[in-house]
Formats: sequence, C-alpha cells, structure tokens
Amino acid sequence: MTPGILKFAQKLLLLGALAIMGALLSATIVRFAPGYGVDEHELDSRLSASSRDAIRNRLQLGKGLLSYYGAYLSGLVHGNLGTSAFLERPVAGLLKERAAFTARTVFLGWITAWAAASLLSLLTLRWQSWLLEYSATAATGILIALPTAVVALLCLYLRAPLFLGIAVITLPKLFRYQHNILAQAHIQPFVLAARARGVSPGRILFRHVLPVARPPLLALLAVSASLALGAAIPLEALSDSPGVGQLAWQAALNRDLPLLTSITLFVTLLTAGVNLFSGTLQERRP
Amino acid sequence: MKVRRALRFLCRGALLATLALGLFAGSFTPYSYAHQFRGIPNAAPSAAHWLGTDALGRDLFTRLVYGTRVSLLLAPAAALIASIIAAILGAIAGLRGGWLEKIILACADLSMSLPLLFVLIALRSVLPLDVSPVLSVIATFLALGLIGWPASVRVVWAASRDLRDSDHLLLAQALGYRRSQILFHQVLPCLRPVFLAQFWISIPLFILTEATLSMLGLGVMEPLPSWGNLLRGSEDFSAMAANPWRLVPLLVLVHTVICFQFIFPGSEEIA
Repeated sequence: MTPGILKFAQKLLLLGALAIMGALLSATIVRFAPGYGVDEHELDSRLSASSRDAIRNRLQLGKGLLSYYGAYLSGLVHGNLGTSAFLERPVAGLLKERAAFTARTVFLGWITAWAAASLLSLLTLRWQSWLLEYSATAATGILIALPTAVVALLCLYLRAPLFLGIAVITLPKLFRYQHNILAQAHIQPFVLAARARGVSPGRILFRHVLPVARPPLLALLAVSASLALGAAIPLEALSDSPGVGQLAWQAALNRDLPLLTSITLFVTLLTAGVNLFSGTLQERRP
Repeated sequence: MKVRRALRFLCRGALLATLALGLFAGSFTPYSYAHQFRGIPNAAPSAAHWLGTDALGRDLFTRLVYGTRVSLLLAPAAALIASIIAAILGAIAGLRGGWLEKIILACADLSMSLPLLFVLIALRSVLPLDVSPVLSVIATFLALGLIGWPASVRVVWAASRDLRDSDHLLLAQALGYRRSQILFHQVLPCLRPVFLAQFWISIPLFILTEATLSMLGLGVMEPLPSWGNLLRGSEDFSAMAANPWRLVPLLVLVHTVICFQFIFPGSEEIA
C-alpha cells in the first residue's frame, strides 16, 4: 500500500472518529437536557402501569450513560437513527428526503459565491483602481453587516431563489479572504520582477500568483462550505423550504432532541468530509 | 489616509453615542419596554411615540433603546468570554507545543468546521423554549461566548508560537526567571494586542448571530427587547413600504456593525 493511500485511510478513520465523537457529545447533551425522557403520554390516566413501564423502557429511562451510548451506537451501526418525536417518522427517512434539497441549494450558492468573489477579487487586482477597491469593500461591508435572517427575508420578499441568498451571505466574507490572499501573493518580489519584465497580466496571474495563493485558497474551500451550510439554516427556516436546515430549526423549536442529534452527526460528517477533501487537495504537489 | 482617520473618529463617536443611548435608556424615554398602549396598536410615529407602536401597542422607540442596552452590553461580555478562552487555550498550545498543542488545535478545527449558527441552535434547544426572558438572554450570550472561541484560538496560537522562539523569552529563561514571571511579564503583554483585536472582531459577529437567533425565535425571549427580536417584528417586508420607520432597528444594527469595522486603524496606517 502506498504512503498516500495509508495517509488517506488514516484521515478517513479520523473523520469517522470525529463524527462519532460529535454524535456522542450531542447525545450526552441530550441525555442531560432538562426534561429529558419526559413523555406526555405518561400523564394519560387511562394508561395502565405496564403501558407506562413500556413507554419508560422505550425511552431507556433509568439506564446509565454508558448503556445509553451503547444503544445509540448500536442503532447507528444498523442505520437506525431513531424516530422523530415531533414528526413521528424515522429520522433516517427524513434526512434522506431533505438532504438532496439542501445539498443542491448549498452547492449552487457556494459555487455562485466563489464565482462572484473570484471575479471581483481578480477585477480589483487587475485594475487596481481605488474606486473599484472602495466600491467592492463598501458593498461587501454592508452585506457583512446584515444579519443572515434579514437576507433570508429579503430573498423571500424578492422571490429570489434560495441559492442566491446563500451566495449573498457567503460572498462578502469569501471576497475579503480571497482578496487578501491574492493581494499578498501579488506583492511578492518575483511577481514584481515579472511585471517589470513586461510579462502579460494573464500569465502573471496563472503562472505566478495562483500557484502561491493555492494552499490558502484551498483551505478557504472548506471554510466557505461551512459558511454556506450555516447560511442555509435561517434561509430554509424562514422561506419554509423542505431542507435539513428547516428540519434542524423545527427540531430545535419542538425540542426534538433525537432528531437534532442525528442532524448534528450529518452536519459533522459533511463539514469534516469537505475539510478532508480540501486538506487532501492542499497536500497534492502542484 | 486623512479620510480614513476622520471616518474612524466618526464611527467611534457614533458607537459611543449608541452605547450611551442604551446605558441611559431610562433618561431618553418615559415608558417601560413592556408597557402596552392597548388603544393604539401599530400606531404611526407621533410626538408621544417617536417610532410608533408595535402590534401589541408597545412603544417602539423605548424597545429600541432598551434593546440597544441588551445587545450592546451583552455582545461584548460574550466576546470577552470567547477571547479569554481563546487566549488561554491559544497561549497554552503555542507555548507548550507537543500533544497538547495538537489536541487544542484539532478541537478548534472541529468546532470551526461546524456552522456556528447550527451549534447554537442545537445548544439552545437543550433548554425549554418557555424559559424566563432573563435566562434566555444569559443562555444566548453565554452560548455565544462558550462557542465563539475557535477562530481566535488559531490567531493567539500563531502569535504565541512566534513568541516561544523569540530571543527575549530565551533571555528571560537564561536569566532564571520563574515560569509565572515569564508568563505575566513577558508573554501576556506581548499577546495583549492580539487579544484585544480578537475581542473587538468578535463583538459585531455576536451581535449579528444574536439577531439571527432571535429572529428564528431561539434567542432573547419577549417581552425583553433586543435588536434581534425587534427585527422579528419586521418579517413582513411588504408592510415595510407603508411603515418605513419599522426599519429603524435594522438600520441601527447595520450602522453599529459597520462602525465596528472602521474603528481600527488599517495595516497601512499602522505602518
């Protein structure tokens, strides 16, 4: 086995361990949350003592934290993520239904934000006009100052597609990081030397600036994916879109803790996976 | 450069004025933030109610100034908690190195990879929704403080790591200074600018996050006002055109966050 494959396998193991740690951590929070295990059906006077015992057994009350972990992990291994208390449906099915919508929206928003931020960064770098620089900084400064939920409401009001909202929320931060990275690479002595020798701007960008800026830009891939995913929650919640973000919000409002634990696992896997991908790309030699 | 300096001066003045408005809210308005004028719900601005009233007949200007107090006092408190945690963990990681450094940085990376809003929603949902308004404020800002440290840890860690290899620290060690002396007299004074920068950067981020959480109904609970739950009343944008004064809380929030972006000298000015 080559060292590259071994390293990738190690990272995959780490990813799995992180996801399980995240899930256990949220399971612990759920276990110790005020009101855990209280089922309103227990208050039903028509139920017999054995029915109440059955309810308590289903909720695994009175068992220690370790057996709680055991039950949770064994369910996880068998693909059983439990049942949503609020929607009264299997969590795995709910996630399966909604993950595709969120993934599509987040991906489109993320791509749009990257395209717009790259275009803006390259334009400001190419022309180096103070008017362009200040206009871009002012526009992104105003966008950064808007709460995510307000952008979501604006999208709703303007009937704009959801991915545009994600792009608008992600763009200002992405532009600032990208612009700083590219500007730093652009003032390197060898770039100045190339400019002095009359090398064309396009060649300078692709042969001198981008190779230097590549590692931090790749790291930005993962950071921006997390930003885009975070933006999806208020956008989906306020526009009533059938995605994982809306599901997380509904789970929080209804204190559907088993559902929230599984969504945490899903989000941890997704973001850690993007981090792994970005890390692997960074390690590859140009 | 002069324009930038003047802008910075203006922003600092505006922030101080907004803070004073919140701190001395009682002097600017005779009403309580929860008092209902039941005969005049959704009233337009007048001499008695400068920004009109909301759907429950509460004076909007009063709620705005008291909301300013909540948002502008508690966001810095949360930023202080996050910065202290980041300073401690970052300094330990940077100065000690080894396995401790790896663990702290791995934890920071894991926390940073998860969307902040999602973690906050998950944590907030642990508490019941019908908690008292005061408890909801404490829970919201405490959660922000306890979760908002990872990004700052990396910055403090980088500064501490540079410090670990510095000549003056080596000299202090060679002169036989105790560890505590080195920490308090050599390390912490050098980290102070980084700590302060992280503190100021976190404040607008926390103000915005609280606003989004409250708009989703998971932040500061009614009747206590905050900028976030004041914006919750402006969900119907189509009604905004007819009642543009309802946008004032949003304008105050945006203006404050923009002011925070300008209060520091740029790197070219420092140079």
